Amino acid sequence: MDMYTSAAIILGVMVLVYFIALWVKLSTELAMLVAALAGAVAGGHFFPARHVAEGAITYLDINLIFICATLFMNILKESGGVAFVVRSIIKTFHNSRVLLLILLSILLLIPGALTGAGSVTVLITGGMVAVVLNYMGISKIKTAAIIFLIAGLSAAAPPVSLWAMMTAAGVNMPYVGFFWPLLIPCVTGALFTVFFLGWKGTKIDVGKAFEELPVPPEKMNWTRIIIPFVIFFGLMFMGRKWPHDTPVVGLPLMFLFAALASYLLSPKKLDFFRISADTIKQLLPLIGTLTCVGILVQIMTLTGVRGLLAITFITLPAYLVIGSLFFFLPITESVLMYGSAAVFGVPLVLLFNSMGLNPIIALAGMSVIWPLGDALPPTAIIGRLTVDVAGAKDSYGKFLKQCIVPAIVIMILGTLMVLYSKQLGFLTGL
Amino acid sequence: MNRKDIIRKSLIGFVGLVVLVVAGIRFYQHRHFKEQVVIGDQVKVKKLGNYFDGVKGTFNDCNIYFIEGTEPGATMMILGGSHPEEPAGRLTALVMVENARITKGRLIVVLSANRSATSVTRPSAAYPQLFTIPTAWGGQQFRMGDRWSNPLDQWPDPEVYIHYPGKQNLAYMDIRNLNRAWPGRANGTLTEKTTFAFMNLIKQEKVDVVIDLHEAELQYPVINTIVTHEKGQDLATMASMTLTDFEGFSIGTEFSPKNLHGLSHREIGDYSDAISLLLEAPEPFLDATRGITGAEQLLEGKDAFVVKAGKHGLLYAPIDDKGWPIATRVGRHTSTVLQIMQSWNEFHPEKELVCEGVPKYTELIAKGLGAFLIDPGSVAKGKVVFE
Repeated sequence: MDMYTSAAIILGVMVLVYFIALWVKLSTELAMLVAALAGAVAGGHFFPARHVAEGAITYLDINLIFICATLFMNILKESGGVAFVVRSIIKTFHNSRVLLLILLSILLLIPGALTGAGSVTVLITGGMVAVVLNYMGISKIKTAAIIFLIAGLSAAAPPVSLWAMMTAAGVNMPYVGFFWPLLIPCVTGALFTVFFLGWKGTKIDVGKAFEELPVPPEKMNWTRIIIPFVIFFGLMFMGRKWPHDTPVVGLPLMFLFAALASYLLSPKKLDFFRISADTIKQLLPLIGTLTCVGILVQIMTLTGVRGLLAITFITLPAYLVIGSLFFFLPITESVLMYGSAAVFGVPLVLLFNSMGLNPIIALAGMSVIWPLGDALPPTAIIGRLTVDVAGAKDSYGKFLKQCIVPAIVIMILGTLMVLYSKQLGFLTGL
Repeated sequence: MNRKDIIRKSLIGFVGLVVLVVAGIRFYQHRHFKEQVVIGDQVKVKKLGNYFDGVKGTFNDCNIYFIEGTEPGATMMILGGSHPEEPAGRLTALVMVENARITKGRLIVVLSANRSATSVTRPSAAYPQLFTIPTAWGGQQFRMGDRWSNPLDQWPDPEVYIHYPGKQNLAYMDIRNLNRAWPGRANGTLTEKTTFAFMNLIKQEKVDVVIDLHEAELQYPVINTIVTHEKGQDLATMASMTLTDFEGFSIGTEFSPKNLHGLSHREIGDYSDAISLLLEAPEPFLDATRGITGAEQLLEGKDAFVVKAGKHGLLYAPIDDKGWPIATRVGRHTSTVLQIMQSWNEFHPEKELVCEGVPKYTELIAKGLGAFLIDPGSVAKGKVVFE
């Protein structure tokens, strides 16, 4: 049997088993695991223990970041810090909607831009921004859409854009010249999103907001809130400013230090172990999904299914490749997450380079589109996390519906950058 | 929790435990698998730790093989295993250690420049852990590795890797990439300490030429080529022209970009007196479009999906149904190394390096790689060294 036939049959088995698993009411993550195991068996690997274990740790670092950042945010919330910040923002800016929307966009853009992870934006500032947006008369589902889309753009924004960095590393291209090509579309997309979804609303009723918002402990103040953030960003700053004199601690430990500071500075006594246990319970579905996606990708690679998908896409006519980037990249992101940069980003950039397009601008354009896939099943990691953080109780489909218009604008922006990358080449030298 | 739940969770827990134990044993066996290298009378083995205490006793304290002639001459260093997911580099180094006879000058060979990276395979890439080269005595096994140091030896990664001393921003995981960590630093990460130790070796042993052996995916533009520091332009160009004319395969030359930091061909040349060159052979197994992933594909270099990519003009190296077998890839490296030696001798007749016994491209293709490996069971115990 040739490789095309065998990979196509295995892909068919995996898809079939995945849907049967969903039909018998298994969760998404378990359905992926079962589909992966079925694919392995179809490929002649009857007890792929090593591949299951190796695939499962693919996203170990990202899982650790999720856990530590969420723990930090939960401690801050329980100590009354979040309520304090929200009250202060409302008190100071309730008269200017434009200023408030711009401020909230900046608050959402910074954490992801510095870490390359949209999840960090959602976990660090997402909760606070959500509360303020709700008081501005924006529904929880719209709020979730705003946070998700800007978090995605923050991840693509410079200085750290993992999709661009991983692809650039794969083609041996220095990660240089990306600052403006990434910053301009990210800021444009973020401002469009926040004004499109957030302009219509109501004036903040300060009295009502203050009545409804939890009252922070009396001793809560800015110092207690800011110090953990100073520790987090201070560690990051030191790593950037003096990279060769600062030990590498990694993002998870930075978040843990911030969590510890927040715990010690809390004006009221907190039950650390209960908050930790709640954090794990809260994140278990996300951790499970990431673990099972890793296993799925490993088995797809082992059996040739990943290669079949990659070769099928990149050998389409050039106009179809560029014309379908807007949905192809998010779809690959929804399955492979950052792995899609290595699997599809590398051949695509090399393809664009051979077509005479500017690889830096084209890659920046693709990097803006990729994060949109974080809302799509089967993983939908950041999308689900955002809906959870924003406290939206509507169906997930409604959340996706709210994202559509800004997402289309972002897709067009990214596609145009690829298409006109040659003409936009000057941005790399700014 | 009712009885049914307890039984269900216990069963799942038991299955998880079995997977964990079986996989754990496989990971342990891979990391501690002993590759055998047969050394001749001319070969002396030192450790990288002899050149820098910072790596002494660590997983990266690799073997350094010295093959010295009776007459003085030039010193050339061959680096295999900078990226252990590119096995032709390590196997070429092995063929040289087991076959080279030096009459003039000195050859320094490294099989596992980043030994830590030989002890891990990449999550989600489904690499085989071990592969076997067929030989007359049944076969010899080797570890497949990764591009990056094992996280067991160096972890966590920063959110962005800032190269020393170039300060260039690189992808975070490249902090564990040996060929992004040159020239290294004494108080750096394990990977940086490793390149720092190699720089000490290059300076102390007064190495004239360093050749770093690699393989690349066919969709990568720097392939079938000699990448050279500006100091080695004449050498690389002469070798490339001669090989293309007389050896039966073509190989190009590329100049090391000055703004791309951390690579051996740039930094060794900049920070030592040595000429630095890097060889790239084609490895379809690394292509993102590859199909089934296994030891057979790794060694035979055949892949229908990569062939299709070639038919669409997406590759920078040719490929057909015959693929790129490991003997061909190793043969390209051995012939290129030998030709570089020859070209060096033409430029420096007063300081020659004369090497015999190493099989060339055509010999390797005709007889297979296994024909040039020595059976560890056929030699005295003291003549077998473990990688």
